[in-house]
Amino acid sequence: MSTQEHDGTEALRTPGPSSPIRRLASAAAVLALGAGLAGPLGPAPARAEAAPAGRTLTVAVAQSVDSLSPFLAVRLVSTSILRLTYEYLTDYDPGDAHPVPGLATSWKPSADKLTWTYTIRSDATWSDGQKVTANDAAWTFDKMMTDQGAATANGSFVSNFREVSAPSPTRLVIKLKKPQATMTALDVPIVPEHIWKNVKDFSKFNNNSTFPVVGDGPFTLTDYKPDSYVRLKANKSFWRGAPKFDQLVFKYYKDQDAAVAALRKGEVSFVAGSPSLTPAQAASLKGDKNIRVNDAPGRRFYAIATNPGARAKNGQKFGDGAPSLLDERVRHALFLAVDRKAIVDKVFQGHAVEGQGYIPPRFSTYFWKPDGSQALGYDPTKAGQLLDQAGYKKNSDGRRVGKDGKPLNYRVLCHATDPNDKAVGQYLKEWWGKLGIGMTLDCLDNVTDPWLAGKYDLAFDGWSVNPDPDFVLSIHTCGALPATPKDTGATDNFICDKTYDDLYAKQLAEYDPTRRADLVKQTESRLYDLGYMNVMAYPNAVEAYRTDQIKSIETMPKAAGNIYGQDGYWSWWSAVPTASGPSSGGSSSTGLVIGIAAAVVVAAGAGLLIARRRGATADDRE
Amino acid sequence: MSAEALAPGTGPGPGPRALARQRRRRSAARFWQQYRTHRAGLVGLAALVLFALLALTAPLTAGSGVSGVTDAPGAPLEAPSGHFPLGTDRFGRDLLGLLVWGSRVSLLVGLLAAVLSVAIGAVVGITAGHFKGTYATVVMRVTDWFLVMPTLVLAIALATVMSRSLGTVVLAIGVTSWPTTARLVRAQTLAVESRPYIERATALGGGHWHVMTRHVLPNVMPLVLAQTTLMVSSSILSEATLAFLGLGDPTVVSWGGLLQDAREAGAVSAGDWWYLLPPGIAIALVALAFTLCGRAVESVLNPRLGANR
Repeated sequence: MSTQEHDGTEALRTPGPSSPIRRLASAAAVLALGAGLAGPLGPAPARAEAAPAGRTLTVAVAQSVDSLSPFLAVRLVSTSILRLTYEYLTDYDPGDAHPVPGLATSWKPSADKLTWTYTIRSDATWSDGQKVTANDAAWTFDKMMTDQGAATANGSFVSNFREVSAPSPTRLVIKLKKPQATMTALDVPIVPEHIWKNVKDFSKFNNNSTFPVVGDGPFTLTDYKPDSYVRLKANKSFWRGAPKFDQLVFKYYKDQDAAVAALRKGEVSFVAGSPSLTPAQAASLKGDKNIRVNDAPGRRFYAIATNPGARAKNGQKFGDGAPSLLDERVRHALFLAVDRKAIVDKVFQGHAVEGQGYIPPRFSTYFWKPDGSQALGYDPTKAGQLLDQAGYKKNSDGRRVGKDGKPLNYRVLCHATDPNDKAVGQYLKEWWGKLGIGMTLDCLDNVTDPWLAGKYDLAFDGWSVNPDPDFVLSIHTCGALPATPKDTGATDNFICDKTYDDLYAKQLAEYDPTRRADLVKQTESRLYDLGYMNVMAYPNAVEAYRTDQIKSIETMPKAAGNIYGQDGYWSWWSAVPTASGPSSGGSSSTGLVIGIAAAVVVAAGAGLLIARRRGATADDRE
Repeated sequence: MSAEALAPGTGPGPGPRALARQRRRRSAARFWQQYRTHRAGLVGLAALVLFALLALTAPLTAGSGVSGVTDAPGAPLEAPSGHFPLGTDRFGRDLLGLLVWGSRVSLLVGLLAAVLSVAIGAVVGITAGHFKGTYATVVMRVTDWFLVMPTLVLAIALATVMSRSLGTVVLAIGVTSWPTTARLVRAQTLAVESRPYIERATALGGGHWHVMTRHVLPNVMPLVLAQTTLMVSSSILSEATLAFLGLGDPTVVSWGGLLQDAREAGAVSAGDWWYLLPPGIAIALVALAFTLCGRAVESVLNPRLGANR
């Protein structure tokens, strides 16, 4: 019995796209068996290993780790894990995200704004017992300045550094070429020099050969299996205080429904969703007794990016973006026809905030929104007028015709893995269709290749914004363009505008917080007017955890904030386990189980029929 | 049957064309008489007629506006009610309407893919059986290669590299599922060509083309027809599978696409059964109906299969 049940659950979890169709018949039969057995029994007693030598916090994730090297990792899951293993110079306060001491206990710019001096704490140690010193920090920055391979992920932070030195083990001095406002927001993991100096090629080393990985964060990376799990152990001697959980495991669930089922069963304590739980999942989880759904303003924006004609720093143009999109009126017309309220209401079902400027309202210091005349609200009539003015008139079929006499038809690049892209894409198709503009939705698993090659017209785009907005602003400067068409630049979608660049440079050099915020808002305003980045919504972070496993966990910001993907290690570091052992969940909806069982039986019946018929004919035909 | 395939000589009475017409009418009547004796076949046929009517009349019953998202009538994921008998989908569209509308794509793709697949299989099978020699060896090795390749993997690969459209899906299914047909047709061709009248036809000056089209093709035709009917059901399943895996055109409504939408919306863990069950059951029913018909046709046309299994 138990083995069959195991088979059943295994089969349910395997998203069998790799098996040939004919085998589906037998698979369906197995499924039917499994469902039939599992139904009346309730959830499988899969919590046997739940009472191990320590309290484990298991997090369900879907994103693959790109690299465990802090010099290469850019994905959210990897940077989150590295944030737990390596301490930064400064952290962000979980309350209002102002810089708080990390490795550095204090910092001070010189009068000419060009030299920054950090005092490094003396009570931090690496997990192999050695002390953390200013030398480690100096070596890390120096490596990124001198080795192109080490600058892959965070090179933008040090491109303005002239010299980094450590006059004493507790003093770090950074000399700049030009004033830089982000010196208290250097999101660079500091690595131990005595380990990393042996690395030969920083562009290839992924930091996954020896475990445990020597680090100084609240957790130590002890084990990793690609697309299976990442295991971390609590650092009991962490200077800020030891985490309450003994172990933290990031476990892979490629299918979000499977992750939700695992949460219901108690196999995982936390589900982040990729990028968040769907409205239907959140609504159904809200009814469960031991599960809390955290629905908080997110730090992401969700936008349509326009291809402004891809080009490289050397002036060479490439890609095949539609020439009509170079006309600002066309870009504005397209966005005027987008009903952002409908997107928030229908696609996100309220789990998002209507899009305005570039930076989400959660970062109130830098949040900017267009007022009256500047705002491109939902106005299809005005959109039509703009297109008429721009010379794209409707032909007899009601389709807008380009300068070359052909009807306008835009290719929109969409992530096949993101359901929201596909859903919003259908709305765009109808809205733009009413304007007389055709649209093809190109949903790809790998959008990177056409994106980097500039082979798209419009694309769905989104970034997580840091408390300091420098990075998300920097990706739209001319300086971020690739050196040649063959290179990869830091640029998001090849925007290069002189006015924008000037404003960006000004905000970076401004040390006064109020004046800098004002400049950042002007930069956003310029970006809005250009119409290359049209923010449709700020999606909420919708995540859920078991209250019978996690007693409390800190969100960021504290009032209403997210848990997964914070700008810091606060959530996992602060998580408190529930004192009593976790009770097994398992209030699954009986109706669904019966429904699925019925469907499976029908499918199995059909499958068996086909299989039998095939078997028979193979014998009977000559 | 093989004797009938020979064109009778010209003579007095009705002309050869009229004769042929008469003969065809007679054999069609005979076919229907025998088909009627297969109860399962009749049930399948009735179901097919029903589904065909549903698909053809969809513009009248459901209306083409049913797939529009901007003017969706309901709230997202509403449970079945008097107003929406099967509830609504993630956009608030009427699922009953979508189900009816989606039958068009599923049936169309299923039929086209099956026809394409059987056409390729028949051409390969007949030529390989007729020409033998090096050509046959090479062609049959290619067939074997396709036969051992997992169909779904190959179809996914094809659908991934080509642009996402209905044509791509038809092509991906058709190009990957022909080898069984090719094998069957080749076997039948070999059997037919070993009969003495083929030798006589060749002796009288019949060329390759004549033998293949006038003698072999009519004899393998019943097999091809039955194979097509059976292939449709597996093609519909493949189409649903590809759409479910997100390889179809996301803006086109099909049954597999509905399942994929449901999965992406999280309907499985939310327990929104009305989003999942109807398309799944519809796929199973159509596949079953085609299989029943195919089996009945097969046993009528091929007496050696025995009567009324």
